[in-house]
Amino acid sequence: MSQTAVARLQNVTKVIGKRTIIDRVSFEVRPGEVFGFLGPNGSGKTTTIRMIVGLMGLTDGDIYIGEHSIRKDFPKAIVQVGAIVENPEMYKFLTGYQNLLHYARMNPSITKGRIQEVIELVGLQGRIHDKVKKYSLGMRQRLGVAQAIMHRPKLLVLDEPTNGLDPAGIRELRDYLRRLAQDEGTAVLVSSHLLSEMELMCDRVAILQKGQIIDIRSIRGEAENQGTALDEVLFEVDHPDAALGILAGQGEGRIADGFLTLSADRKGIADLNRKLVEAGINVYGIRVKTKSLEDQFLEMTGSETIG
Amino acid sequence: MKRLGNFMKLIQNENMKIYLRLRTWIMLGFIVLLPPFLSLAFYLAGGENMSGWSMVLIESRILFFLITIFTVVVAADSVAGEFTWGTIKLLLIRPWSRSTILLSKYLSTMLFALFFTVVAFIMTLLANLVVFGFSTDANLAAGMTDVAYIWKFYLMEFVTLIIIVTFGFTMSSAFRSGGLAIGLSIFFLFAGNLITGLFALANKAWVKYVLFMHLDLTSYINGGNGPIPNYPTTLGFSLAVLAVYFVIFNVVSWTVFRKRDVAA
Repeated sequence: MSQTAVARLQNVTKVIGKRTIIDRVSFEVRPGEVFGFLGPNGSGKTTTIRMIVGLMGLTDGDIYIGEHSIRKDFPKAIVQVGAIVENPEMYKFLTGYQNLLHYARMNPSITKGRIQEVIELVGLQGRIHDKVKKYSLGMRQRLGVAQAIMHRPKLLVLDEPTNGLDPAGIRELRDYLRRLAQDEGTAVLVSSHLLSEMELMCDRVAILQKGQIIDIRSIRGEAENQGTALDEVLFEVDHPDAALGILAGQGEGRIADGFLTLSADRKGIADLNRKLVEAGINVYGIRVKTKSLEDQFLEMTGSETIG
Repeated sequence: MKRLGNFMKLIQNENMKIYLRLRTWIMLGFIVLLPPFLSLAFYLAGGENMSGWSMVLIESRILFFLITIFTVVVAADSVAGEFTWGTIKLLLIRPWSRSTILLSKYLSTMLFALFFTVVAFIMTLLANLVVFGFSTDANLAAGMTDVAYIWKFYLMEFVTLIIIVTFGFTMSSAFRSGGLAIGLSIFFLFAGNLITGLFALANKAWVKYVLFMHLDLTSYINGGNGPIPNYPTTLGFSLAVLAVYFVIFNVVSWTVFRKRDVAA
Protein backbone atom coordinates (compact mmCIF):
# COMPACT_ATOMS: atom_id res chain seq x y z
CA MET A 1 0.00 0.00 0.00
CA SER A 2 1.54 3.28 -0.99
CA GLN A 3 1.52 6.17 1.45
CA THR A 4 0.47 8.62 -1.21
CA ALA A 5 -3.02 7.22 -1.70
CA VAL A 6 -5.78 9.75 -1.01
CA ALA A 7 -8.29 7.10 -0.11
CA ARG A 8 -7.47 3.62 1.02
CA LEU A 9 -10.01 0.88 1.61
CA GLN A 10 -8.79 -2.11 3.58
CA ASN A 11 -10.88 -5.26 3.63
CA VAL A 12 -14.03 -3.21 3.92
CA THR A 13 -16.89 -5.49 4.89
CA LYS A 14 -20.52 -4.78 5.54
CA VAL A 15 -22.89 -7.36 6.95
CA ILE A 16 -26.56 -6.51 7.26
CA GLY A 17 -28.48 -9.18 9.12
CA LYS A 18 -26.98 -12.38 7.84
CA ARG A 19 -26.15 -11.09 4.38
CA THR A 20 -22.68 -9.96 3.51
CA ILE A 21 -23.36 -6.92 1.33
CA ILE A 22 -19.73 -5.91 0.88
CA ASP A 23 -17.05 -8.55 1.17
CA ARG A 24 -13.45 -7.55 1.91
CA VAL A 25 -13.24 -4.75 -0.62
CA SER A 26 -9.79 -3.16 -0.88
CA PHE A 27 -8.52 -0.54 -3.28
CA GLU A 28 -6.92 2.84 -3.24
CA VAL A 29 -7.44 6.07 -5.08
CA ARG A 30 -4.36 8.11 -5.94
CA PRO A 31 -3.99 11.86 -6.21
CA GLY A 32 -4.95 13.24 -9.58
CA GLU A 33 -6.71 10.18 -10.86
CA VAL A 34 -10.31 9.62 -11.81
CA PHE A 35 -11.24 6.27 -10.39
CA GLY A 36 -14.37 4.54 -11.63
CA PHE A 37 -16.49 2.26 -9.61
CA LEU A 38 -18.49 -0.07 -11.83
CA GLY A 39 -20.99 -2.73 -11.10
CA PRO A 40 -24.42 -4.05 -11.88
CA ASN A 41 -27.32 -2.81 -9.79
CA GLY A 42 -27.25 -4.27 -6.31
CA SER A 43 -23.54 -5.03 -6.46
CA GLY A 44 -22.84 -2.70 -3.54
CA LYS A 45 -21.53 0.45 -5.22
CA THR A 46 -23.69 2.85 -3.28
CA THR A 47 -23.16 1.00 -0.01
CA THR A 48 -19.40 1.24 -0.45
CA ILE A 49 -19.63 4.93 -1.25
CA ARG A 50 -21.81 5.54 1.79
CA MET A 51 -19.20 3.81 3.93
CA ILE A 52 -16.43 5.95 2.46
CA VAL A 53 -18.26 9.15 3.42
CA GLY A 54 -19.30 7.82 6.82
CA LEU A 55 -23.04 7.59 6.21
CA MET A 56 -22.91 3.87 6.87
CA GLY A 57 -20.78 2.07 9.40
CA LEU A 58 -18.30 -0.68 8.59
CA THR A 59 -18.74 -4.19 9.96
CA ASP A 60 -15.06 -4.89 9.43
CA GLY A 61 -12.00 -3.37 7.80
CA ASP A 62 -11.19 0.32 7.65
CA ILE A 63 -11.17 3.28 5.31
CA TYR A 64 -8.44 5.91 5.39
CA ILE A 65 -8.67 9.34 3.87
CA GLY A 66 -5.08 10.53 3.86
CA GLU A 67 -3.87 9.09 7.14
CA HIS A 68 -7.14 9.50 9.04
CA SER A 69 -9.52 6.63 9.62
CA ILE A 70 -13.15 7.34 8.83
CA ARG A 71 -14.10 5.13 11.76
CA LYS A 72 -11.84 6.53 14.45
CA ASP A 73 -11.14 10.05 13.30
CA PHE A 74 -14.26 11.03 11.37
CA PRO A 75 -14.04 14.87 11.34
CA LYS A 76 -10.38 14.88 10.26
CA ALA A 77 -11.01 12.29 7.57
CA ILE A 78 -14.22 13.73 6.16
CA VAL A 79 -12.93 17.31 5.97
CA GLN A 80 -10.82 16.15 3.03
CA VAL A 81 -13.82 14.71 1.20
CA GLY A 82 -16.43 16.35 -0.97
CA ALA A 83 -19.35 14.27 -2.14
CA ILE A 84 -22.66 13.94 -3.86
CA VAL A 85 -24.40 10.76 -2.81
CA GLU A 86 -27.06 9.84 -5.36
CA ASN A 87 -29.08 12.89 -6.30
CA PRO A 88 -27.91 16.25 -5.01
CA GLU A 89 -30.75 16.92 -2.58
CA MET A 90 -30.85 20.54 -1.47
CA TYR A 91 -33.10 22.56 0.80
CA LYS A 92 -35.76 23.54 -1.71
CA PHE A 93 -37.10 26.42 0.37
CA LEU A 94 -33.67 28.07 0.43
CA THR A 95 -31.93 29.80 -2.44
CA GLY A 96 -28.93 28.24 -4.10
CA TYR A 97 -26.71 30.73 -2.29
CA GLN A 98 -28.24 29.99 1.10
CA ASN A 99 -27.69 26.28 0.48
CA LEU A 100 -24.01 26.90 -0.19
CA LEU A 101 -23.74 29.25 2.79
CA HIS A 102 -25.24 26.50 4.94
CA TYR A 103 -22.50 24.03 4.05
CA ALA A 104 -19.81 26.71 4.06
CA ARG A 105 -20.62 27.60 7.68
CA MET A 106 -19.86 24.02 8.64
CA ASN A 107 -16.28 24.36 7.44
CA PRO A 108 -14.35 27.35 8.82
CA SER A 109 -11.85 27.29 5.93
CA ILE A 110 -14.43 28.43 3.37
CA THR A 111 -14.54 32.17 2.81
CA LYS A 112 -17.30 34.23 1.19
CA GLY A 113 -14.89 34.84 -1.69
CA ARG A 114 -14.49 31.12 -2.21
CA ILE A 115 -18.28 30.65 -2.36
CA GLN A 116 -18.44 33.30 -5.09
CA GLU A 117 -15.58 31.65 -6.95
CA VAL A 118 -17.30 28.27 -6.89
CA ILE A 119 -20.60 29.75 -8.07
CA GLU A 120 -18.84 31.17 -11.11
CA LEU A 121 -16.99 27.93 -11.67
CA VAL A 122 -20.22 25.95 -12.00
CA GLY A 123 -21.85 28.76 -13.96
CA LEU A 124 -24.76 29.47 -11.62
CA GLN A 125 -24.13 33.19 -11.02
CA GLY A 126 -27.31 34.21 -12.86
CA ARG A 127 -29.65 32.08 -10.79
CA ILE A 128 -27.86 31.64 -7.47
CA HIS A 129 -30.35 33.81 -5.56
CA ASP A 130 -33.38 31.86 -6.82
CA LYS A 131 -35.02 29.27 -4.62
CA VAL A 132 -33.80 25.77 -5.36
CA LYS A 133 -37.36 24.57 -5.96
CA LYS A 134 -37.24 26.61 -9.18
CA TYR A 135 -34.07 24.88 -10.37
CA SER A 136 -33.92 22.26 -13.10
CA LEU A 137 -32.25 18.95 -12.35
CA GLY A 138 -29.16 20.09 -14.23
CA MET A 139 -28.91 23.24 -12.12
CA ARG A 140 -29.33 21.23 -8.94
CA GLN A 141 -26.55 18.98 -10.15
CA ARG A 142 -24.30 22.03 -10.60
CA LEU A 143 -25.17 23.25 -7.13
CA GLY A 144 -24.34 19.77 -5.89
CA VAL A 145 -20.92 19.97 -7.50
CA ALA A 146 -20.42 23.43 -6.00
CA GLN A 147 -21.06 22.26 -2.43
CA ALA A 148 -18.80 19.27 -2.99
CA ILE A 149 -15.76 21.24 -4.15
CA MET A 150 -16.12 24.38 -2.03
CA HIS A 151 -13.60 23.29 0.58
CA ARG A 152 -11.08 22.06 -2.04
CA PRO A 153 -11.33 18.39 -1.03
CA LYS A 154 -8.51 15.98 -1.73
CA LEU A 155 -11.07 13.35 -2.61
CA LEU A 156 -14.23 14.01 -4.56
CA VAL A 157 -16.83 11.26 -4.42
CA LEU A 158 -19.62 11.27 -6.95
CA ASP A 159 -22.33 8.65 -6.97
CA GLU A 160 -23.96 8.32 -10.41
CA PRO A 161 -23.05 11.92 -11.30
CA THR A 162 -24.46 11.88 -14.80
CA ASN A 163 -27.97 10.92 -13.72
CA GLY A 164 -30.42 13.39 -15.16
CA LEU A 165 -27.85 15.39 -17.10
CA ASP A 166 -28.27 16.06 -20.81
CA PRO A 167 -25.40 15.13 -23.16
CA ALA A 168 -23.93 18.63 -23.00
CA GLY A 169 -24.08 18.56 -19.23
CA ILE A 170 -22.41 15.17 -19.10
CA ARG A 171 -19.64 16.37 -21.35
CA GLU A 172 -19.13 19.49 -19.29
CA LEU A 173 -18.98 17.49 -16.07
CA ARG A 174 -16.54 15.05 -17.62
CA ASP A 175 -14.23 17.82 -18.79
CA TYR A 176 -14.48 19.52 -15.45
CA LEU A 177 -13.61 16.39 -13.49
CA ARG A 178 -10.63 15.69 -15.69
CA ARG A 179 -9.43 19.26 -15.23
CA LEU A 180 -9.89 19.07 -11.48
CA ALA A 181 -7.87 15.86 -11.36
CA GLN A 182 -5.10 17.18 -13.59
CA ASP A 183 -4.77 20.76 -12.38
CA GLU A 184 -5.52 20.48 -8.68
CA GLY A 185 -4.47 16.89 -8.15
CA THR A 186 -7.87 16.02 -6.75
CA ALA A 187 -8.62 12.33 -6.62
CA VAL A 188 -12.07 11.64 -8.02
CA LEU A 189 -14.10 8.54 -7.27
CA VAL A 190 -17.13 8.10 -9.51
CA SER A 191 -19.63 5.32 -9.55
CA SER A 192 -21.77 4.66 -12.55
CA HIS A 193 -23.45 1.98 -14.54
CA LEU A 194 -22.95 3.93 -17.76
CA LEU A 195 -19.93 2.06 -19.06
CA SER A 196 -19.16 4.15 -22.09
CA GLU A 197 -19.29 7.21 -19.86
CA MET A 198 -16.82 5.67 -17.44
CA GLU A 199 -14.54 4.74 -20.28
CA LEU A 200 -14.26 8.37 -21.30
CA MET A 201 -13.95 9.72 -17.79
CA CYS A 202 -11.76 7.38 -15.78
CA ASP A 203 -8.11 6.47 -15.50
CA ARG A 204 -8.81 3.24 -13.65
CA VAL A 205 -11.92 1.29 -12.88
CA ALA A 206 -12.79 -1.25 -10.23
CA ILE A 207 -15.47 -3.73 -11.12
CA LEU A 208 -17.69 -4.81 -8.31
CA GLN A 209 -19.95 -7.82 -8.37
CA LYS A 210 -21.99 -9.25 -5.51
CA GLY A 211 -20.04 -7.14 -3.03
CA GLN A 212 -16.62 -8.23 -4.20
CA ILE A 213 -14.05 -6.53 -6.39
CA ILE A 214 -13.51 -8.83 -9.33
CA ASP A 215 -11.10 -6.64 -11.26
CA ILE A 216 -9.24 -3.36 -11.11
CA ARG A 217 -7.88 -2.21 -14.42
CA SER A 218 -6.24 0.80 -15.97
CA ILE A 219 -8.07 2.29 -18.92
CA ARG A 220 -5.67 4.95 -20.17
CA GLY A 221 -2.82 2.50 -19.76
CA GLU A 222 -4.36 0.19 -22.31
CA ALA A 223 -4.69 2.93 -24.84
CA GLU A 224 -0.96 3.64 -24.53
CA ASN A 225 -0.12 -0.03 -24.93
CA GLN A 226 -1.83 -0.18 -28.27
CA GLY A 227 1.47 -0.13 -30.15
CA THR A 228 2.56 -3.59 -29.07
CA ALA A 229 -0.65 -5.33 -28.02
CA LEU A 230 -2.29 -7.78 -30.34
CA ASP A 231 -5.68 -6.66 -31.58
CA GLU A 232 -8.33 -8.20 -33.71
CA VAL A 233 -7.96 -6.64 -37.16
CA LEU A 234 -10.62 -6.68 -39.85
CA PHE A 235 -9.59 -6.43 -43.53
CA GLU A 236 -12.20 -5.52 -46.06
CA VAL A 237 -11.00 -7.06 -49.35
CA ASP A 238 -12.50 -8.03 -52.67
CA HIS A 239 -11.62 -11.76 -52.42
CA PRO A 240 -11.56 -12.85 -48.77
CA ASP A 241 -10.92 -16.52 -49.58
CA ALA A 242 -7.95 -15.77 -51.77
CA ALA A 243 -6.62 -13.32 -49.20
CA LEU A 244 -6.87 -15.93 -46.48
CA GLY A 245 -4.79 -18.25 -48.62
CA ILE A 246 -2.14 -15.61 -49.15
CA LEU A 247 -1.84 -14.88 -45.43
CA ALA A 248 -1.99 -18.56 -44.46
CA GLY A 249 1.32 -18.50 -42.59
CA GLN A 250 0.50 -15.35 -40.60
CA GLY A 251 -1.40 -16.80 -37.66
CA GLU A 252 -5.02 -17.62 -37.07
CA GLY A 253 -7.01 -16.06 -39.87
CA ARG A 254 -10.72 -16.52 -40.47
CA ILE A 255 -13.52 -15.02 -42.43
CA ALA A 256 -16.43 -13.44 -40.58
CA ASP A 257 -19.23 -11.37 -42.10
CA GLY A 258 -17.26 -11.04 -45.33
CA PHE A 259 -14.24 -9.61 -43.46
CA LEU A 260 -10.91 -11.28 -43.16
CA THR A 261 -10.12 -11.33 -39.44
CA LEU A 262 -6.64 -11.72 -37.96
CA SER A 263 -4.71 -10.89 -34.81
CA ALA A 264 -1.89 -8.43 -35.31
CA ASP A 265 -0.02 -5.57 -33.68
CA ARG A 266 0.55 -2.20 -35.33
CA LYS A 267 3.55 -3.21 -37.36
CA GLY A 268 1.94 -6.51 -38.29
CA ILE A 269 -1.04 -4.72 -39.80
CA ALA A 270 1.20 -2.82 -42.20
CA ASP A 271 3.04 -6.03 -43.17
CA LEU A 272 -0.20 -7.89 -43.80
CA ASN A 273 -1.52 -5.06 -45.90
CA ARG A 274 1.62 -4.95 -48.01
CA LYS A 275 1.43 -8.69 -48.64
CA LEU A 276 -2.18 -8.43 -49.77
CA VAL A 277 -1.53 -5.53 -52.09
CA GLU A 278 1.53 -7.17 -53.58
CA ALA A 279 -0.59 -10.28 -54.27
CA GLY A 280 -3.04 -8.17 -56.21
CA ILE A 281 -5.87 -8.12 -53.65
CA ASN A 282 -7.82 -4.90 -53.41
CA VAL A 283 -7.92 -3.69 -49.80
CA TYR A 284 -10.86 -1.34 -49.20
CA GLY A 285 -10.50 -0.91 -45.47
CA ILE A 286 -8.61 -1.99 -42.38
CA ARG A 287 -10.23 -1.71 -38.98
CA VAL A 288 -8.91 -2.54 -35.55
CA LYS A 289 -11.63 -4.03 -33.43
CA THR A 290 -11.13 -2.69 -29.90
CA LYS A 291 -13.03 -4.25 -27.11
CA SER A 292 -15.09 -1.65 -25.36
CA LEU A 293 -15.25 -1.57 -21.62
CA GLU A 294 -18.80 -2.74 -21.98
CA ASP A 295 -17.74 -5.90 -23.80
CA GLN A 296 -15.11 -6.58 -21.19
CA PHE A 297 -17.52 -5.87 -18.39
CA LEU A 298 -20.16 -8.19 -19.75
CA GLU A 299 -17.56 -10.86 -20.29
CA MET A 300 -16.58 -10.64 -16.66
CA THR A 301 -19.89 -10.24 -14.95
CA GLY A 302 -21.61 -12.80 -17.14
CA SER A 303 -25.17 -12.38 -18.29
CA GLU A 304 -26.26 -10.18 -15.42
CA THR A 305 -28.11 -7.11 -16.54
CA ILE A 306 -26.55 -3.72 -16.15
CA GLY A 307 -28.16 -0.49 -15.19
CA MET B 1 -13.71 29.39 22.36
CA LYS B 2 -13.11 29.09 18.65
CA ARG B 3 -14.92 25.78 18.68
CA LEU B 4 -17.88 27.37 20.41
CA GLY B 5 -17.94 30.05 17.74
CA ASN B 6 -17.97 27.38 15.08
CA PHE B 7 -20.73 25.55 16.91
CA MET B 8 -22.80 28.74 16.92
CA LYS B 9 -22.65 28.57 13.13
CA LEU B 10 -24.42 25.22 13.28
CA ILE B 11 -27.15 26.84 15.37
CA GLN B 12 -27.25 29.66 12.84
CA ASN B 13 -27.77 27.07 10.10
CA GLU B 14 -30.61 25.39 11.93
CA ASN B 15 -32.20 28.76 12.62
CA MET B 16 -31.94 29.62 8.93
CA LYS B 17 -33.79 26.42 8.09
CA ILE B 18 -36.51 27.27 10.60
CA TYR B 19 -37.01 30.98 9.97
CA LEU B 20 -36.63 31.10 6.20
CA ARG B 21 -39.79 29.07 5.84
CA LEU B 22 -43.13 30.76 5.35
CA ARG B 23 -44.67 28.22 7.71
CA THR B 24 -42.78 29.62 10.70
CA TRP B 25 -44.14 33.11 10.13
CA ILE B 26 -47.70 31.81 9.81
CA MET B 27 -47.22 30.11 13.18
CA LEU B 28 -45.88 33.33 14.66
CA GLY B 29 -48.90 35.12 13.20
CA PHE B 30 -51.19 32.88 15.25
CA ILE B 31 -49.26 33.60 18.45
CA VAL B 32 -49.28 37.35 17.83
CA LEU B 33 -52.90 37.68 16.74
CA LEU B 34 -54.69 35.22 18.99
CA PRO B 35 -54.43 37.21 22.30
CA PRO B 36 -55.84 40.51 20.96
CA PHE B 37 -58.49 38.62 19.03
CA LEU B 38 -59.64 36.59 22.06
CA SER B 39 -59.56 39.56 24.44
CA LEU B 40 -61.49 41.77 22.07
CA ALA B 41 -64.05 39.09 21.24
CA PHE B 42 -64.63 38.36 24.93
CA TYR B 43 -64.92 42.05 25.73
CA LEU B 44 -67.50 42.56 23.01
CA ALA B 45 -69.37 39.44 24.12
CA GLY B 46 -70.15 41.15 27.41
CA GLY B 47 -67.12 40.36 29.50
CA GLU B 48 -66.04 43.95 30.05
CA ASN B 49 -65.75 43.37 33.84
CA MET B 50 -63.26 40.54 33.38
CA SER B 51 -59.96 40.96 35.16
CA GLY B 52 -57.06 41.36 32.82
CA TRP B 53 -55.01 38.83 34.79
CA SER B 54 -57.63 36.10 34.49
CA MET B 55 -57.69 36.63 30.79
CA VAL B 56 -53.87 36.47 30.62
CA LEU B 57 -54.02 33.08 32.32
CA ILE B 58 -56.69 31.65 30.01
CA GLU B 59 -54.98 32.88 26.86
CA SER B 60 -51.61 31.63 28.05
CA ARG B 61 -53.02 28.13 28.54
CA ILE B 62 -54.33 28.14 24.98
CA LEU B 63 -51.10 29.56 23.60
CA PHE B 64 -49.00 26.92 25.34
CA PHE B 65 -50.97 24.24 23.51
CA LEU B 66 -50.23 25.99 20.24
CA ILE B 67 -46.56 26.62 21.00
CA THR B 68 -46.09 22.99 22.03
CA ILE B 69 -47.63 21.74 18.79
CA PHE B 70 -45.71 24.24 16.67
CA THR B 71 -42.42 23.33 18.34
CA VAL B 72 -43.12 19.63 17.86
CA VAL B 73 -43.66 20.34 14.16
CA VAL B 74 -40.31 22.13 14.03
CA ALA B 75 -38.63 19.31 15.98
CA ALA B 76 -40.13 16.72 13.66
CA ASP B 77 -38.82 18.46 10.56
CA SER B 78 -35.49 19.21 12.11
CA VAL B 79 -34.41 15.57 12.11
CA ALA B 80 -36.97 13.49 10.19
CA GLY B 81 -37.33 16.23 7.58
CA GLU B 82 -33.65 15.99 6.64
CA PHE B 83 -34.15 12.28 5.99
CA THR B 84 -37.31 12.87 3.96
CA TRP B 85 -35.65 15.58 1.88
CA GLY B 86 -32.48 13.53 1.49
CA THR B 87 -30.41 16.49 2.69
CA ILE B 88 -29.13 14.43 5.63
CA LYS B 89 -26.64 12.85 3.21
CA LEU B 90 -25.00 16.23 2.62
CA LEU B 91 -25.36 17.40 6.20
CA LEU B 92 -23.57 14.49 7.84
CA ILE B 93 -20.53 14.51 5.57
CA ARG B 94 -19.09 17.64 7.20
CA PRO B 95 -16.31 17.83 9.79
CA TRP B 96 -18.70 17.55 12.71
CA SER B 97 -19.72 14.55 14.76
CA ARG B 98 -23.30 13.40 14.48
CA SER B 99 -23.80 14.15 18.18
CA THR B 100 -22.86 17.79 17.72
CA ILE B 101 -25.14 18.15 14.72
CA LEU B 102 -28.02 16.67 16.69
CA LEU B 103 -27.25 18.99 19.61
CA SER B 104 -27.43 22.01 17.31
CA LYS B 105 -30.82 20.81 16.13
CA TYR B 106 -32.09 20.23 19.64
CA LEU B 107 -30.93 23.59 20.92
CA SER B 108 -32.33 25.54 17.98
CA THR B 109 -35.67 23.78 18.47
CA MET B 110 -35.69 24.84 22.12
CA LEU B 111 -34.71 28.39 21.15
CA PHE B 112 -37.70 28.41 18.82
CA ALA B 113 -39.96 27.40 21.73
CA LEU B 114 -38.40 30.06 23.95
CA PHE B 115 -38.82 32.76 21.31
CA PHE B 116 -42.48 31.89 20.78
CA THR B 117 -43.11 31.75 24.53
CA VAL B 118 -41.64 35.21 25.02
CA VAL B 119 -43.79 36.54 22.18
CA ALA B 120 -46.87 34.87 23.70
CA PHE B 121 -46.09 36.38 27.11
CA ILE B 122 -45.67 39.89 25.73
CA MET B 123 -48.74 39.65 23.50
CA THR B 124 -51.10 38.40 26.21
CA LEU B 125 -49.93 41.10 28.61
CA LEU B 126 -50.19 43.81 25.98
CA ALA B 127 -53.58 42.76 24.64
CA ASN B 128 -55.17 42.53 28.06
CA LEU B 129 -53.57 45.72 29.31
CA VAL B 130 -55.21 47.54 26.43
CA VAL B 131 -58.58 45.77 26.56
CA PHE B 132 -59.15 45.17 30.29
CA GLY B 133 -56.38 46.93 32.17
CA PHE B 134 -54.67 45.49 35.22
CA SER B 135 -56.24 47.76 37.86
CA THR B 136 -58.03 44.95 39.68
CA ASP B 137 -56.39 41.92 41.19
CA ALA B 138 -57.95 38.62 40.14
CA ASN B 139 -56.52 36.71 43.10
CA LEU B 140 -55.39 33.84 40.94
CA ALA B 141 -53.79 32.22 43.98
CA ALA B 142 -53.88 32.95 47.67
CA GLY B 143 -50.85 34.59 49.16
CA MET B 144 -49.23 35.82 45.96
CA THR B 145 -49.72 38.58 43.46
CA ASP B 146 -51.16 37.85 40.03
CA VAL B 147 -47.88 38.82 38.40
CA ALA B 148 -45.99 36.30 40.50
CA TYR B 149 -48.57 33.64 39.69
CA ILE B 150 -48.30 34.26 35.94
CA TRP B 151 -44.50 34.08 36.10
CA LYS B 152 -44.63 30.75 37.87
CA PHE B 153 -47.29 29.52 35.48
CA TYR B 154 -45.03 30.24 32.49
CA LEU B 155 -42.12 28.52 34.15
CA MET B 156 -44.10 25.35 34.92
CA GLU B 157 -45.69 25.20 31.50
CA PHE B 158 -42.34 25.65 29.83
CA VAL B 159 -40.98 22.65 31.72
CA THR B 160 -43.86 20.54 30.41
CA LEU B 161 -43.27 21.88 26.92
CA ILE B 162 -39.61 20.87 27.07
CA ILE B 163 -40.59 17.30 28.00
CA ILE B 164 -43.16 16.93 25.22
CA VAL B 165 -40.92 18.50 22.59
CA THR B 166 -38.02 16.30 23.71
CA PHE B 167 -40.31 13.30 23.29
CA GLY B 168 -41.25 14.52 19.78
CA PHE B 169 -37.58 15.02 18.98
CA THR B 170 -36.83 11.47 20.10
CA MET B 171 -39.61 10.07 17.92
CA SER B 172 -38.34 12.15 15.02
CA SER B 173 -34.83 10.80 15.46
CA ALA B 174 -35.87 7.19 16.15
CA PHE B 175 -38.47 6.73 13.42
CA ARG B 176 -37.27 9.33 10.91
CA SER B 177 -40.89 10.10 10.24
CA GLY B 178 -42.10 13.61 10.95
CA GLY B 179 -45.77 12.65 10.80
CA LEU B 180 -45.38 9.93 13.39
CA ALA B 181 -43.40 12.23 15.68
CA ILE B 182 -46.04 14.96 15.45
CA GLY B 183 -48.92 12.51 15.88
CA LEU B 184 -47.48 10.79 18.93
CA SER B 185 -46.52 14.06 20.59
CA ILE B 186 -50.00 15.48 20.16
CA PHE B 187 -51.42 12.26 21.55
CA PHE B 188 -49.04 12.72 24.48
CA LEU B 189 -50.23 16.26 24.98
CA PHE B 190 -53.94 15.47 24.97
CA ALA B 191 -54.06 11.96 26.37
CA GLY B 192 -51.98 13.09 29.32
CA ASN B 193 -55.00 14.46 31.21
CA LEU B 194 -57.13 11.38 30.54
CA ILE B 195 -54.43 9.00 31.61
CA THR B 196 -53.73 11.09 34.70
CA GLY B 197 -57.42 10.87 35.62
CA LEU B 198 -57.41 7.13 35.16
CA PHE B 199 -54.26 6.45 37.14
CA ALA B 200 -55.30 8.82 39.92
CA LEU B 201 -57.99 6.23 40.76
CA ALA B 202 -55.45 3.45 40.99
CA ASN B 203 -54.29 2.57 44.45
CA LYS B 204 -50.71 1.67 43.74
CA ALA B 205 -47.64 3.64 44.73
CA TRP B 206 -45.93 3.14 41.37
CA VAL B 207 -48.37 5.45 39.59
CA LYS B 208 -46.24 8.20 41.09
CA TYR B 209 -43.59 7.32 38.54
CA VAL B 210 -45.81 7.42 35.48
CA LEU B 211 -44.68 10.25 33.23
CA PHE B 212 -48.19 11.44 32.36
CA MET B 213 -48.96 12.23 36.01
CA HIS B 214 -46.38 15.00 35.98
CA LEU B 215 -47.21 16.88 32.83
CA ASP B 216 -49.28 19.53 34.57
CA LEU B 217 -47.12 21.18 37.20
CA THR B 218 -49.30 24.27 37.62
CA SER B 219 -51.27 22.65 40.44
CA TYR B 220 -48.19 23.02 42.62
CA ILE B 221 -48.17 26.82 42.33
CA ASN B 222 -50.79 27.33 45.01
CA GLY B 223 -49.44 24.59 47.23
CA GLY B 224 -51.16 21.52 45.82
CA ASN B 225 -50.15 17.98 46.67
CA GLY B 226 -49.83 16.74 43.12
CA PRO B 227 -52.14 14.83 40.82
CA ILE B 228 -52.64 11.59 42.82
CA PRO B 229 -54.90 12.08 45.85
CA ASN B 230 -53.74 8.96 47.69
CA TYR B 231 -50.06 9.54 47.08
CA PRO B 232 -49.14 13.17 47.62
CA THR B 233 -46.14 14.41 45.72
CA THR B 234 -44.07 17.57 45.76
CA LEU B 235 -42.86 19.79 42.93
CA GLY B 236 -39.35 18.53 43.53
CA PHE B 237 -40.50 14.95 43.15
CA SER B 238 -42.32 15.70 39.89
CA LEU B 239 -39.29 17.48 38.50
CA ALA B 240 -37.08 14.54 39.43
CA VAL B 241 -39.41 12.10 37.65
CA LEU B 242 -39.49 14.35 34.59
CA ALA B 243 -35.71 14.64 34.67
CA VAL B 244 -35.37 10.85 34.51
CA TYR B 245 -37.67 10.64 31.48
CA PHE B 246 -35.87 13.62 29.91
CA VAL B 247 -32.56 11.78 30.18
CA ILE B 248 -34.05 8.56 28.79
CA PHE B 249 -35.56 10.34 25.78
CA ASN B 250 -32.29 12.07 24.98
CA VAL B 251 -30.20 8.93 25.39
CA VAL B 252 -32.50 7.24 22.85
CA SER B 253 -32.31 10.21 20.43
CA TRP B 254 -28.55 10.42 20.53
CA THR B 255 -27.91 6.70 20.44
CA VAL B 256 -30.15 6.13 17.44
CA PHE B 257 -28.93 9.19 15.55
CA ARG B 258 -25.27 8.34 16.10
CA LYS B 259 -25.41 4.65 15.35
CA ARG B 260 -27.89 4.14 12.60
CA ASP B 261 -26.85 3.89 8.98
CA VAL B 262 -28.15 6.46 6.54
CA ALA B 263 -29.26 3.96 3.96
CA ALA B 264 -32.21 5.27 1.99
